[in-house]
Amino acid sequence: MRKRLGDYILAFLIIIMLNFFLPRLMPGDAISALYGDALMEMSPQTEAYLLERYGLDKPLGEQFGLYISNLAQGDLGYSYYFRAPVGQVLVGALPWTLSLIAISLLISALAGIIWGVEAAWRRGRKFDRASLVTIMLLNGVPGFVLGILLLLIFGFYMPWFPISGGASPYMDYSGWEQLWDYLQHLFLPALTLTLVQLPRNFMLMRSSLLAVKEKPYIYTARNKGLRDRMVRYRHAARSALAPVITRLGMSIGLLFTSVLFVEIIFAYPGLGNLFYLALQHHDYPTIHGCLLLITVCVLLFNLLADLLNQKIDPRLRELDARQLLERA
Amino acid sequence: MLEINNLTVSFPVSHNHERAYQHPDQAPQNVQPEASASQLTVLNKVNLSVQTGEIWGIVGESGSGKSTLALTLMGMVGEALQQGSIKFKGQELLENSPRCWEKLRGSAISMVMQQSGEMLTPTLPLIDQIMEPYLKLYPRQKETAQRLGSQLLRRVGLDESYFYRYPHTLSGGEVQRALIAMALITDPELLILDEPVSSLDVRTKSDILNLLTEITAGRTVLVISHDLHTVKRLAHRTAVLYCGAILETGPAADCLQEPAHPYTRALVRAYPTLEGARELQGIRGEFPPLNQRPEGCPFHTRCTQSLDICSWQRPEPVEVGRTSLEHTSPIGNGRRQIACHRAGVLELLRCENVVQRYKLDKKQANSEPGNNYLEAVSGVSLTLREGEVYALVGESGSGKSTLGRILAGVDRPYRGEVFFQQQPLHKMFGAAKKEQSRNLQMLFQNSGEALSHRLNVHELVSEPLQIQKIGDPKSRQKAVRKALEWVNLPVTGHFLHEYPHHLSGGELQRVALARALVLEPKVLIADEPSASLDASVQAKIIKLLLHLQNERGFALILITHELALAAKAGDKVGVMYQGKIVEEGPPAKVLRYPQHWYTKTLTDTDTDRDLLIGDKTIPHPKSAG
Ligand SMILES: Nc1ncnc2c1ncn2[C@@H]1O[C@H](COP(=O)(O)OP(=O)(O)OP(=O)(O)O)[C@@H](O)[C@H]1O
Ligand code: SF4
Ligand SMILES: [Mg+2]
Repeated sequence: MRKRLGDYILAFLIIIMLNFFLPRLMPGDAISALYGDALMEMSPQTEAYLLERYGLDKPLGEQFGLYISNLAQGDLGYSYYFRAPVGQVLVGALPWTLSLIAISLLISALAGIIWGVEAAWRRGRKFDRASLVTIMLLNGVPGFVLGILLLLIFGFYMPWFPISGGASPYMDYSGWEQLWDYLQHLFLPALTLTLVQLPRNFMLMRSSLLAVKEKPYIYTARNKGLRDRMVRYRHAARSALAPVITRLGMSIGLLFTSVLFVEIIFAYPGLGNLFYLALQHHDYPTIHGCLLLITVCVLLFNLLADLLNQKIDPRLRELDARQLLERA
Repeated sequence: MLEINNLTVSFPVSHNHERAYQHPDQAPQNVQPEASASQLTVLNKVNLSVQTGEIWGIVGESGSGKSTLALTLMGMVGEALQQGSIKFKGQELLENSPRCWEKLRGSAISMVMQQSGEMLTPTLPLIDQIMEPYLKLYPRQKETAQRLGSQLLRRVGLDESYFYRYPHTLSGGEVQRALIAMALITDPELLILDEPVSSLDVRTKSDILNLLTEITAGRTVLVISHDLHTVKRLAHRTAVLYCGAILETGPAADCLQEPAHPYTRALVRAYPTLEGARELQGIRGEFPPLNQRPEGCPFHTRCTQSLDICSWQRPEPVEVGRTSLEHTSPIGNGRRQIACHRAGVLELLRCENVVQRYKLDKKQANSEPGNNYLEAVSGVSLTLREGEVYALVGESGSGKSTLGRILAGVDRPYRGEVFFQQQPLHKMFGAAKKEQSRNLQMLFQNSGEALSHRLNVHELVSEPLQIQKIGDPKSRQKAVRKALEWVNLPVTGHFLHEYPHHLSGGELQRVALARALVLEPKVLIADEPSASLDASVQAKIIKLLLHLQNERGFALILITHELALAAKAGDKVGVMYQGKIVEEGPPAKVLRYPQHWYTKTLTDTDTDRDLLIGDKTIPHPKSAG
C-alpha cells in the first residue's frame, strides 16, 4: 500500500505541474494566457497588481515557488467574472457536486451490485434476460437525453420536483425543512446520474460474479450446506467485488463529465455548472481551478476505492487490483 | 447405512459441458424420466451398499464418474437427471427438496471435494469458514463453534497462527487439511473424501494419508481416488468404477492385489508401484468419451477376452470366491462381486505337478549308482491367466526350457497334467488339438538362428498358416504383412523376399516373433527371446514383445535367466531352481522380500552371485538327484 500511496502523490505532483506550466508555456505573455478576456476589463493598476502578486514577469522557477506557496494558502487566483477569489468560488460549488456524486455513486453501486448478483446467479433464466434487456435499453439512452426526459416528466408534466437550482431561493427554511428542500432539488439530478451509472455497474458486477460463480470455493461453500443466500452474498459477491470497485474508482473521471451535463440541465449550482459558466465567459482562473479540483477529486476517489478494496479483499493487500482483474 | 440402487445419472447436453453451479430450484422438473439422446449418462445403474463403520474406496480412471457419484450423494448435481434410489439411513435422498439437501449437506453427510484451484473463499479468514457448517446447525453457539474449529484445526496440524490467515496465503496441503477440518466440524455420519491426496506432493501426501488414517478410524467413509495406494491404505472395501458402472467390489486388499475382473487387473497393471521395478503397461485402447459409452459390458472395447455377448448384454454382478489372500478388514464379510460374462480373468494354462525326467546314458548313470534318471522338472504347478505375463526365471539347467516345452504341448510330461482352457492339453485330438496348437505358440530359444535358410521371409512367416491350413494365399499374405508390421519390420517386396542369412540377429528374432504371432495365439511361451542378442537389440525386442502383449492381449510366459528382466516384465515372477518353482509372486514382493535362499542369492548384486556360484555354494542340479 505504501507503494500505491507514492503513486498517488506522484500523480498529484504531476497534475500541479501541468496546471502550472501549461498556460505559462503557451505562446504570448503569461498574463494574457492566464487571464484572457478579463484583461480587457482590467485597469492597468490591477494588471500590475496581478503581475506583482503572481510574479508573472519573474523567471519560471521563482514563479513556481510563488505558485506553490499561494496554492498552499488556497489562493488559486481571482475570478473577474465572479468577482471573487477562485478558491472561494470553488468552495461554494464543491458541496453540491460532492453530494450529487456521493449519493448517485452510492445508490447506483448498491443497486448495480445487488441487481448484478441476482441476475448472474440466475444466468440465462427469465430474470437475467429481462434484466439484460432493461439495462441495454437504459444504456442506449444518452445521459443528457435521459436528464431532459426526467426533467420534462417529473418537472413539467408531473411537477413533483423542482426543475432547477440546488435550493429554493429567498426562502427562510430552517433545519429539517431546509434539508427536505435540498433533497427535493437533489432528487432529479441524482436520479439521472444514478441511471447513467447503473448499466455499467450492473454489467461489471454481473460479469465479475459470473466468473466467481464457477470457482471451486463456491462449490465448497454450497457443499458444506450453507443457505443459498449465504453462498451468494457472503462467499460469491464479496469475492467478486474487488474488480468492480476498482473499475468504479477508475471511472470516476467519466462520472465528472456526466456531472457536467447533469448540472447544466438542472442548473444545479455545482462545479460542473461553474465550469460551464467559466468556459462561456473565458474565465481562465476559474477554469484552471476547476480542473485542478476535479483531478484532485478523481485521485481521492481512486484512493478511496483502493482502501475499500483492501478492506474487502485480503488478496489485494499483496496484489495489485489490476493483477486481480487480469486473473479473473 | 447407505444403499444405492440402480443409480443412473445423466447430464443434459445442452449445457455446453460446463459444470455450472446450478441454482437449486433450477433442476429440470419437467424432463421426461427416460434418458433421451440429448443426455450423457455418467453413472449407469450403480449399486452400492455401505454399512456403518465401513470405509469404502472407489477407484477408477479419470472420467469414470467417481466425483459425480460423490456429488450425487451430496445433492450437488441439480441439473442432472437422476434415477434409481439412494437410501441414507432409510430415507430416500433423491426425493429431497433443495431445502432438505441444504439441511443434510455438511451435517449428516460431509464431503471434502476434489482439489481444483481455489477451494476456500478468498475474502474470509480461515477459521470463519471452518466454523460455518457448525454455525448453520447451531446459529447461536459461536463460542462452541470457535472452540471446535480451533481444536480441529490443531488436530489436522494447523496451529493458532493459521486461524486468521486468508486462503491465498496457504499451501495446497494446508488447504487440504483445512478442508478436512471443515468436513469434520459437524461430526458427520458419512464422510466423503474425493481425491484427498491426489494433488499433493509425495511428502505432504504421506502426511495427509497418516492424518486420514487416524481420522477415518471408526467412521463411515467413502474415499474416492484413482490412486490405488491411497485406497489400499484407507479402505476396507473397494468398488471399481468404469464408465459409470461398478465392475468389481470386494475387500480392498484382495481386489487390488489379486484383481478378478479384467478391468481391475488392467488398472492394477497400469499403476506404478514405488517398490516395484515393473515396467508400466497402459490399459490398451482409449477411455471412451461420454457420448460414445459402449453398450453391454462397458469394458468390452478394451478387454482382451471379450465375447460376442459382451458387446450387447450388460453382465450382472456375481459373487466370486477368488479370495486367496487372507482378508484382514475388521468389517465386511469378505464378499467379492464382479460383473463379467466370463467370471473374471480367464485361466488359460494350468499345470499340476508336472514331472519330467530324462534317461541318463550309461556313463552318467554309472557315476550316480542306482539312479538312471535325471529329473529336469520335478513337480511344478503354475497357472497362467488371460493377458498375464509370467516371468519364469532361473539359472541355466534349472529346467525352464523343459517346462516351457511341456506347457507348449511340444513334449509330454512324465507325470502330471497340463490344462489349456480347462482341457487336458496332452489328451486333445482332432479339431480341439488344431485349435490348441494355433492358440498356444512357442518361441524357442535361439529361434531366430534356427529359421530355415532355404525359405524367404514371406515363406517363413506364412508357413504356420500353411501348416494349419488357415486361409487362402491372399488372406495369408495379408496376415503376414500384419504380423510383420506388429514386429516393426518392413513389408516391402524386397524385404519379403530376403533370406535369413542376409538379416541381422535382431531382424531374425523379429521374424521368428512374427512367425509365432501370425496365428494370433492366446498364449505365447517365449524362451530366452533375446539372450543371443546384444544389449540394445535385446532391450528393443523385449520392449516390443511386452508392447505387443499389451496390445494384442495374449498371455506370455517369458523364460529368462535374468531376474532383473523378469521383474521388469512380469506381472508374476516364478523362480525356478533344480526343477522346482521355489518362489512365486508379484515382482515387487519377490525382489524385495525373497523368501527362498536361492532367490536371496539372486537378488544380491551380480558379483555376489557370481562369487557364490564360483564357490559352488549352489549345488548343480545335475549332480543332485
Ligand atoms: N455437470 C456436468 N455436465 C456434463 N458432464 C459432466 C458434468 N459433471 C461431470 N460430467 C462428465 O462426467 C464424466 C465423469 O466425471 P467425474 O468428475 O465424475 O469423473 P471422475 O471419475 O471423478 O474423474 P477424475 O478422476 O478426473 O476426478 C466426465 O466425462 C465429465 O465430463
Ligand atoms: S469378458 Fe466380457 S464381460 Fe468380462 S470384462 Fe471382458 S468384455 Fe466385459
Ligand atoms: Mg473426480
